[in-house]
Amino acid sequence: MKPYNIPGALLLGGAIFLASGCVTSTVDQMVFNEPHEGIGNSTVVILGRRHASDYDTEPDFVECVGEHISSGDRSIEVIGELEFVNDFYPWFEPRTAPLQLADFERLVQRQPAVAEKMASLRTQYMIWIDGSTVRSDSSGSMTCAVGPGGGGCFGFGTWSSDSNYEATIWDFTEHAEVGKISTSATGQSYMPAVVIPIPIIAPVQGTACDGIGDQLLQFLSSQY
Amino acid sequence: MSGSMTFVPDSRALICLAGTLLLALLAGCGPAEVVVQGNFPPPTMEKLPLTIGVWYDPGFANHEFFDEAKSKKESSWLVKSGEAQVQMWDTVLNGMFARVVPMTGQPGPGQMNPSVDAVLIPQIAELQYAIPAHTNVKVYEIWIRYHLQLVTTGGDPIADWTMPAYGKTPTAFLQSDQAAVNLAAVMALRDAGANFATTFARVPAVQAWLQQTLGTGQEASL
Repeated sequence: MKPYNIPGALLLGGAIFLASGCVTSTVDQMVFNEPHEGIGNSTVVILGRRHASDYDTEPDFVECVGEHISSGDRSIEVIGELEFVNDFYPWFEPRTAPLQLADFERLVQRQPAVAEKMASLRTQYMIWIDGSTVRSDSSGSMTCAVGPGGGGCFGFGTWSSDSNYEATIWDFTEHAEVGKISTSATGQSYMPAVVIPIPIIAPVQGTACDGIGDQLLQFLSSQY
Repeated sequence: MSGSMTFVPDSRALICLAGTLLLALLAGCGPAEVVVQGNFPPPTMEKLPLTIGVWYDPGFANHEFFDEAKSKKESSWLVKSGEAQVQMWDTVLNGMFARVVPMTGQPGPGQMNPSVDAVLIPQIAELQYAIPAHTNVKVYEIWIRYHLQLVTTGGDPIADWTMPAYGKTPTAFLQSDQAAVNLAAVMALRDAGANFATTFARVPAVQAWLQQTLGTGQEASL
């Protein structure tokens, strides 16, 4: 039997702990009409809200939630945001996207081409994610210099990041909004520099993605 | 085993190197140039049973926007959007109308043109942009104000209205200023197409013309 290298493992564990800052996260949910048998061969689309003037829901966050769901339950087909928005152009642009389920149902009634495309995609759930991650409270200073003999940095920087997202679930079978899941995460990141800057980044957005993704997976999947 | 190698540059290599450096320096002095490039999806909507003509005047089809630097720290900008404008408008109009016909000349008395129900003439009345160097906000933005005219083949006005369009790039992480401005311009063009496609039939003068041409009910489908 190969002996464990305990000091090495401790060092590695310590390095991993140090390399990521601390994150505090909370998730709230209120869902109805869960599909207990799963969603079968229906599909899910996850879209980001982009109608506010001061923030946009990041496309990579929307993609992260979609990947979290499809990797958690391979039977759930999640349609990519860009693919869906292009397929339904011009109805899901920031200016034209329906804000209420009733708006979307009116659109489907008025535009048979939209109804046909929705039917061909077998989309049962449309999940809207609204929110963003912002960086705040930056402090510290760092000086970097480059000379003929080499270069380096010295100093310390820190900042906090806050993520706030809300997912709203529309069910086209029930013709109703069947749930809201919200998540918030806060974390402090650090960057000490003695010759080389060492970023210790708090995975705030990733934690928010996991939080909202887990709840959506519980709602959509029969395995959870 | 040890050895050494001496590199003796020849004069041609030195001239090439100097030339490359000079070109790089000169390129740094010119304006930041963006030739807008993007893909525009066709609209998913019921087509109006109309044959529409479209006339892009040379100022529109070759539209470019030049903004001179206001200080030595800033760079001048040249945004060439004409080709992308034509590409976007062609795609949107072909998805909205049963038939789209490009006009051979500006509609007017005596101008020979194919016979169509009406001719659309899009023009750019104004274009503005903002980059982080201007605003200290990590957002690249483009605003376009279009002047749109719907006329008969003889040039008589049917409708005349303005339409805004806006596009922004939320983050420029790992992107050059040029790539971010291009993306903001593509978003603005998509917004223009979406705005036109969803509001065309609601412009009062267009609505009246559609009622007269198609009868009541048809124009409401848009």
